[in-house]
Amino acid sequence: MSKQSIPAESQDANRVLNQDPALSSPGRKSGGIGTLLREHLPLIGMVLVLIGGGTLEPNFFLLANLSSVAQQSSMLIIIAIGLSIPMLMRGVDLSIAQVTDATALMAAALVAHNQPVILAFVLPILLGLFIGVVNGWLMGYVGVPAIIGTLGMMFIVRSGELIYSKGSQPQILFALPRSMTAPFLFIAQGTLGPIPMILIVWIVIAIGMYFLTKTTVFGRQMDAVGGNVTAAFLSAVNVKKVFAGGFVLSSLMASLAGITLASWTGIAVPRGAESYLMEAFVAVYLGTVTTKNGQISVLGTVIGALFVGALNNQLTLLGLGAAERNILNGAFVLLAMAIGALRKKRR
Amino acid sequence: MCDRILVMVKGKIVKALDRADFSQEALLYWATSTEVPLKTIKAESSEKQVSRSRTKGFSFSKFLKRWGTIAGMVLLFIACGIAAPHFLAPSNLFNVLKQGSVLALIALGLTIALISGGFDMSVGALSQLTSNLSAGLVAGGLATSLTLLTGGLVGLGVGALNAFFVVLLRMPPFVATLGTMFALMGATLAYNKGQSFTLADKPEFFTMGQGYIGPIPIILVIVVALVMVLLLFLKRTRPGLHMYAVGGNPQAAVVRGLNKSASIVLSFMLGGLIVGLSGVILTSYSYGASAVPASLDFLISALAAAFLGTTFNRAGQLDVLGTVVAAIFIAAINNRLILNGVSNLVLPGIQGLILVLSIIPGVIRKKGIGQVTIF
Repeated sequence: MSKQSIPAESQDANRVLNQDPALSSPGRKSGGIGTLLREHLPLIGMVLVLIGGGTLEPNFFLLANLSSVAQQSSMLIIIAIGLSIPMLMRGVDLSIAQVTDATALMAAALVAHNQPVILAFVLPILLGLFIGVVNGWLMGYVGVPAIIGTLGMMFIVRSGELIYSKGSQPQILFALPRSMTAPFLFIAQGTLGPIPMILIVWIVIAIGMYFLTKTTVFGRQMDAVGGNVTAAFLSAVNVKKVFAGGFVLSSLMASLAGITLASWTGIAVPRGAESYLMEAFVAVYLGTVTTKNGQISVLGTVIGALFVGALNNQLTLLGLGAAERNILNGAFVLLAMAIGALRKKRR
Repeated sequence: MCDRILVMVKGKIVKALDRADFSQEALLYWATSTEVPLKTIKAESSEKQVSRSRTKGFSFSKFLKRWGTIAGMVLLFIACGIAAPHFLAPSNLFNVLKQGSVLALIALGLTIALISGGFDMSVGALSQLTSNLSAGLVAGGLATSLTLLTGGLVGLGVGALNAFFVVLLRMPPFVATLGTMFALMGATLAYNKGQSFTLADKPEFFTMGQGYIGPIPIILVIVVALVMVLLLFLKRTRPGLHMYAVGGNPQAAVVRGLNKSASIVLSFMLGGLIVGLSGVILTSYSYGASAVPASLDFLISALAAAFLGTTFNRAGQLDVLGTVVAAIFIAAINNRLILNGVSNLVLPGIQGLILVLSIIPGVIRKKGIGQVTIF
């Protein structure tokens, strides 16, 4: 429901103004340690939460564990970055985890049926792009509210998956002969020198998306559409195209995450990736509190996703289950938004 | 210092003053004027109006727009009846009405929240929580009336919590209810520990969802009564009309002196109450509570019902009667597909399609992009 309230619009205007370094308040320049602390308070809070959890379970701080957190979180990081792109423009993509799910299934099925490995990379990406284009057309050109359109798409994709897998039969790769699966599994399970491939995958994607959002014309146009769509339209931005492009990008990210997921776990269980949707939301919203203006950013999203991944790891180490994780995730979304609301009020 | 000044009134930029034009008087003139901004905005959007007026004319397309959905639904219904004669048998029709009633209750709660311009992601999760909760309570031997009371109170509480986040903390409804949705899903899981509740031998409790008065299912009576009460409340009382006003145009409503916050709080709490009760009735209907996390499934069914309901009236307005008819239609489609031997794997996709298709007529005229307030 895109009913815009009065304060929301004036905040947007603030956001746009604050992006211009020349217009932002000059008083902030005196970077004393106090202001530095205050600006990064949420970040410090996150680290403290993790340290607090770590004292309960010291195994958390083992280098091996921390490295495994960074690897385990890869899929979440890629999905969360994907989700943050439409959200930058005040859209949202609820179908993103389902697309990850479907593309993981597709990639695994292609490998399991002994198709050339290149197909296992190309076809899922094409599927992701196709879903993204349909989403983009619905949201950008037809004007369906993003919550509704992508929720509908999520269930359509889910149906397709269930029909294909005849009621969620998994595609198992790790039980197949290694010679068949090795090239596909390399992308996430292999190492390049001492560095695990999966780390390289998400870091490359994150850097790519960082520069896409920060330095390209398309990135600036996305900012403009997110800040004030009328102003963007009047400045000759092709609003519909840019908005639609966001959904194509998010579905592309989802398909990359799907391939990584299938390669990392060696199995694709239909509906197995759906829980990423919730965690990706937490990551994006937590990411907003790490930036000064409370904006959505790729960097903040990566930090948020790493935090969620680390917290999940701690909860697992402590032997807590999905129930606690859900409650905590919900609390974090609300907390992040409450902090954002309080900061806006103060400014 | 600066080369131009933008004047904003009530969140709208009404004038850009160049450096040369700037004076204190001019600034104040633009900042305090209330008539002028409307004109400026109108001038800007005249292009839009031209294109809108062009869509008028050709009565057949108009007719199709107005009656298309209903005609399509009736045709589909008749086709269903021809393809499977059992579908129109009275026993099956009452079955369909019974199945639709559970969905209708959740959809009604959501519609109330939507009417005042809110959005409630948490309806499905709330319904599942009170469903599990009531199953546990009834299994523990609590009386039906007290179980209903508990379900209603939990719903009211969650509605109040949502309203607190939206009104006091000024979070967009989407985010606030998304947060509560996650928390409620966790609470459900913590309560049932992943185990389904199956109830047996509680005839008093089952009457609500499975009983009949003559040939009419009691659950249908509940829904019809609720719809009548809600219709009366929404169309004939002041708070109900205020809710429509706030949802239709919040700025105008505030200017007319309505208490926007009160309407939003009321709609969230009323919606929460209905959804909370729907969970209890769901448990009674299905002889227990499912542990399968179905929050989003419930949500999409309810959303599809609410938006399909908007296509029935000319204004495309949210309407409790439309919601209920649409909910029962969706239940009928599901019933029909299962009768025809189509597996239930297709059902989510069909609901997704219904949802997207039913919202298109409402948005296609606006020629905007699908931005939502998520932040």
